[in-house]
Amino acid sequence: MSAVTAWARRYGALIRSAWLIDLQYRASILLWVLWGVTEPAIALGIWWAIAGTGDVDGYARIDFARYFFAMMLVNQLTIAWDSWYLDGWIRNGDLNFRLARPLHPAHEATADNIAYKARSGSIIVVVWLVVAALWPAVRLPFDPTRWALTALAVVFAAGLRFLISFTTGLLAFWTTRATAIMELHAGIAMFLAGRIAPLALLPPPIAHLASLLWFRPMLAFPVEVLTGAVTGSAALVQGFVAQAFWLAVWFGACRLAWRRGLLRYGAVGG
Amino acid sequence: MPPAITAQFLSKTFRVKVRDPGLAGAVQALFRPRYREVQAVREVSFEIAPGEIVAFLGPNGTGKTTTLKMLAGLLYPTRGQVRVAGFEPWSGGAAFKRRIALVLGNRQQLVWDLPAEETFLLNRAIYDIAERDFRLRLAELVDLLGLAAVVDKPVRQLSLGERMKCELAAALLHRPPILFLDEPTLGLDVSAQDAIRRFLGAYRDRHGAAILLTSHYMQDVTALATRVIMINRGRLLYDGALDALVGRIAPTKRLEVVLGAPVDQETLAAFGAVHSFRFPNAVLDVPREAAAATSARLLAALPVADLSIADPPIEEVIRLAFAEGDESE
Repeated sequence: MSAVTAWARRYGALIRSAWLIDLQYRASILLWVLWGVTEPAIALGIWWAIAGTGDVDGYARIDFARYFFAMMLVNQLTIAWDSWYLDGWIRNGDLNFRLARPLHPAHEATADNIAYKARSGSIIVVVWLVVAALWPAVRLPFDPTRWALTALAVVFAAGLRFLISFTTGLLAFWTTRATAIMELHAGIAMFLAGRIAPLALLPPPIAHLASLLWFRPMLAFPVEVLTGAVTGSAALVQGFVAQAFWLAVWFGACRLAWRRGLLRYGAVGG
Repeated sequence: MPPAITAQFLSKTFRVKVRDPGLAGAVQALFRPRYREVQAVREVSFEIAPGEIVAFLGPNGTGKTTTLKMLAGLLYPTRGQVRVAGFEPWSGGAAFKRRIALVLGNRQQLVWDLPAEETFLLNRAIYDIAERDFRLRLAELVDLLGLAAVVDKPVRQLSLGERMKCELAAALLHRPPILFLDEPTLGLDVSAQDAIRRFLGAYRDRHGAAILLTSHYMQDVTALATRVIMINRGRLLYDGALDALVGRIAPTKRLEVVLGAPVDQETLAAFGAVHSFRFPNAVLDVPREAAAATSARLLAALPVADLSIADPPIEEVIRLAFAEGDESE
């Protein structure tokens, strides 16, 4: 069996297993997806009301509608829950059997992310298509180049958010507050990654900070590519380079945390 | 044949945060954390041959599981060398992990919400088991463990014993030559314990696997292990045959007598130390070498209805061995 076939079989089996578990928790999955729709819908509602008297820094109501629908889709396709899983594995001892088998736990986490994103992303696409059929304002022009660039930016952003979440979860090797750190990061990301408002509407120093750090590359950038807010090859290249740079940084941090963490792992529990 | 497992001067020291009780202690720990070092395992050395079943004995928190986890590559030792199946566990990678199985009695790898057969399929992919091998091995394990009726039920609906059997099946599908089992019969009823013991013996006989197991159930030890390694406070206390340990620690044999007519305790005491006496049952401890002669004298002098000679219970021997170890510390 070739290495590629073996890996395809492993990922196939892990994704199948994740989907079978999802089927056992249908109601819970539906609630999570509903949450994924509600948050951008509330943000849109607020900005819709504000923009009722005229444009806000060049954003009309229709721009907000497109932005938050794109945010809803991109967020579901890039969100990562790994810090919560890892924190549990490390603190409860469920990492033990995962370390004893010939598969790095990161592969299980990656497969779980693919399974989750394929499932939630497809539900959100359906929601979007239904809304777009009834409300032309949120339709996006058919532009294959833009769609391809969006797909690439989404893959980079998903990788980045996965590494941030995985690395933060690895802090459980040192602290019992790894998930609290992730919550704090999520709180900051509400503003700096564009979930509450497009970055263009933030005070310039804060928007600049979001672009300097990993917050724009992890979410706002692919949303901007999808809505057409990023134009010109220089801006696109700059955005992708920032994504690649932060991917490399978080990948290094993740490897370092994994190696150092294992050295001090107490392998709690049986 | 090279040993399956070699441990030389294996040591593990944990750094543990110390905190005074109460709010003041919590605040102090936040700003001025204090640590103390706990020596969980201290210079433990042993070898285990292929096909050998060894019981790892010791009180709770004495370093057994820590040693097992170092051998399985989960923990890095502070000092010492380990070779397992020819590999250094923590740097052996996937090739090493394909040669071992680790079963933890109170942690499971079975996917809780799905039938056990889904975990088997997952492990087939993870361990790259060929389809034909997978079918043959699964059929063998299902047969040996009597799992035919349970593999398609969700794991959460299985009894503890059924879960442990499925856990063993999942852990052995890749047919590892070395098994690390931590309390494999923990919390199981007598028949489930017995089934697992018979299975482990059969697996060793068929595949020549080396098995290192920890257990608090002496039945596991007497039924399976040809050798015991005792560890106390992280130090190796004894490594050898169980019979030899019994001979060394308990230099007496136990005569269990059923009397046909009443006799007084002083009369019995003339034959050996009276361990217990409640007519018609009396239990006497006598020197091992004198057991046969004392039995003959008892039968001749007293109204004996029945008599048997046995070693003291293994639990008592182990307790005495640890007590002896504590005294010599």
